[in-house]
Amino acid sequence: MPVPEPESASAESQSLTKAQKKAEGRARQEQQRAAKAAQKQQQQSGQNAGSSSNKSKGSTVQKKPASESNKIPSAAASSSKDAPTTREGAVGADGLSDGPKSRGLRIFSHFGLPKTPGHQIKGDIHPAIVKLGLQFSEFKICGANARCIATLTAFKTVIQDYVTPPHNTLSRHLMTHLSPQITHLVTARPMSVTMGNAIRQLKLEISGSDIDLPEQDAKDALCQEIDNYIRDRIIIADEVIEDLAVKKIKDGDVVLTYARSSLVEKILLRAHALNKRFSVIVIDSRPLLEGKTLLHSLTSVIPPIPCTYALLPALPSLITDADIVLLGAHSLHANGSVYSRAGTAMVAMLAKEHSVPVMLCCETYKFSETVMLDGFGKNELAPMKFSPDAPKSNSNLEVLNPLYDSTPASCITAVVTEVGLIPPTSISSIPLALGRTTL
Amino acid sequence: MASDPQSAANQRIVEDLVSRLRRRQLVGSRATALETLLVLRQVVSKARFSNIDQLVNIIRSVGRRLVDAQPKEHSVGNTVRKVLHHIREEYHTANEQPAAESSFSIAKFVLQGQPRKQATIPSSESRVLLKENDPDDPDSFARVLKPVLMEAIQDVFDELETVYDNISKNAKDHIHSDEIILTLGMSKTVDSFLKAAAHYRNYTVIVAETAPSYGGREMAKSLSSAGISTFLVPDSSIYALMSRVNKVILGAHAILANGGMFATSGSLLAATAARSYSTPVVVCAGQFKLTPLWNLYHEYGALDFGDPSAVLCFDEGDLVDKVDVVNPYYDYVRPELLDVFITN
Repeated sequence: MPVPEPESASAESQSLTKAQKKAEGRARQEQQRAAKAAQKQQQQSGQNAGSSSNKSKGSTVQKKPASESNKIPSAAASSSKDAPTTREGAVGADGLSDGPKSRGLRIFSHFGLPKTPGHQIKGDIHPAIVKLGLQFSEFKICGANARCIATLTAFKTVIQDYVTPPHNTLSRHLMTHLSPQITHLVTARPMSVTMGNAIRQLKLEISGSDIDLPEQDAKDALCQEIDNYIRDRIIIADEVIEDLAVKKIKDGDVVLTYARSSLVEKILLRAHALNKRFSVIVIDSRPLLEGKTLLHSLTSVIPPIPCTYALLPALPSLITDADIVLLGAHSLHANGSVYSRAGTAMVAMLAKEHSVPVMLCCETYKFSETVMLDGFGKNELAPMKFSPDAPKSNSNLEVLNPLYDSTPASCITAVVTEVGLIPPTSISSIPLALGRTTL
Repeated sequence: MASDPQSAANQRIVEDLVSRLRRRQLVGSRATALETLLVLRQVVSKARFSNIDQLVNIIRSVGRRLVDAQPKEHSVGNTVRKVLHHIREEYHTANEQPAAESSFSIAKFVLQGQPRKQATIPSSESRVLLKENDPDDPDSFARVLKPVLMEAIQDVFDELETVYDNISKNAKDHIHSDEIILTLGMSKTVDSFLKAAAHYRNYTVIVAETAPSYGGREMAKSLSSAGISTFLVPDSSIYALMSRVNKVILGAHAILANGGMFATSGSLLAATAARSYSTPVVVCAGQFKLTPLWNLYHEYGALDFGDPSAVLCFDEGDLVDKVDVVNPYYDYVRPELLDVFITN
């Protein structure tokens, strides 16, 4: 399966940004859903943008080609420049699907596959959502908190632009308007637990909104609710968690962290602002190498926080120096397991082995009632653009980049939430203790 | 000895190897073992000695220089010890003293390796002629013993040459159909082991790419070119995938006397993750990696550090002067994390 060479990779990203702009422009035009034709065209452009990255990720996709290859001729006709790459991608994908399917292929088949950006815009999608979908699939917006805030902000725009059709009420109809938007975001990248929780809360607010309220007032009230949710569950919660976690960092401590959690970053910067003298070990790993971003922000404060940087295999040599491990999370499940960036589980496991306390920093809105037994059942694959140097896939070789893993509750010492420090297994009792029926 | 032209020549090849070891131009247990053996053969063939002690001292001093050059390449010391052992063995058989090899112990096995089966070749005439410290003809001792010693060194050579074949001989007993094997880094031993098993079995290998050397990528290419269904994953997903892995197969850098081992960094993570899922960990290693040493540094196996630019390259200019970057070569894996050693 061809992986873009460095030059073609840059060309690809250029064409993607171009396609992105194109898609946005078109989406804006057709906002009044006047032109069905324009929409079709946009689908095609989306497909072209998609197919150029198809060739990088195609190998992991097994069921894709049939439906798509039917459409490819039309796409090729619409822009002859993109045609060669399109065909190349299609051929490669077909070649793969013909190849022998090993058991390995089958056991990985349920992983969330990286989506082609702008791929298939179905129905009436708000331009803000189209833009967000592209940002998600391009990993421009990445991280549970950032994605949740971006989604809610986009939904505010959608709600403000929404007009209740005649013979309908807002509380009944708005949700049917939002559903395709949500579906579009999910096709861009699998939904995060945070987004799921926030959307559930939003649905509750919508269905509960007063029928007699004037439409604009109802929309304003909903937007206010969204703002409140972001403020209470994320922003203020983060501040409380910072306060709690900072107390655990003492002068002279060595704090070890993995990749980049926005919350851990804030905690470390807060501790630094409180004049605590500590040093940080940042452990990082492919595919995303997010630790470098953390390193930039930790060293750009004055005076810079002393940092050590190493890749995951070097962890055993460094864990002995650490006094505390701070980790972030994508979501926290009912059995206490933590779904987080791939590699977190190994950091927690090794820290436990060396009796280093592991503090997981996580807002309560990241809780999920589902149970997660291992990181294999549910996972997502990073797009191939994050591994440009990896060897090309062929019939025997597959390059997989899982994004998440699941840490068992036994490896976590405590979870720092805005309601205090709790053991990971008792998260399911928190909503109850707070008198909420939902998370 | 320095004035002796022959020993000066010896000195030169020894120095050459020393500098290559020190500059890390020569890495890998088997490569260093082979090079050491070549140097020792040269040294023995050119050395002038009139009794066994002189010979042993020469070999010892050469060995010490080589070991000091790169103390983490344990196979250098192992090879020197093995050659010394064979020299003594030959000397004893030549001296009509039946070598006291009747008792076998694990310690002896670890120290000396497999007992040589052809150890009792020397003919009766050489026995008669063997005289130490003959004042009339000081070279007679060397003249008689050298051919036997060369043969002994050749045996060690042969063992090194065939090490991969011998290890992979019973690969099919360890890998079964439809298994999922996890391995990491680039190890020639593991590579040949898996390829040998692929002749008999249909199985899947997951290779962790082992940053920052990315030896796993090389390994994945090599395995997939042999027709093995291969998955290349980042190191971070070892734990996530471990629940589906049937066996972890690792290569070793050196196996220590307590049963622990030095291996490519990342091995400890994989072995610990395997332990938490109760997945067996199999180590493939040639006997020349068995080392009669203990890891004095215990957890801190990585006293050998690599080039930090592989971890954080100079593209990240503004970070480079503010951040410590750690890139260890090896992990120390404790014996309780390992299940099986497969040797030749």
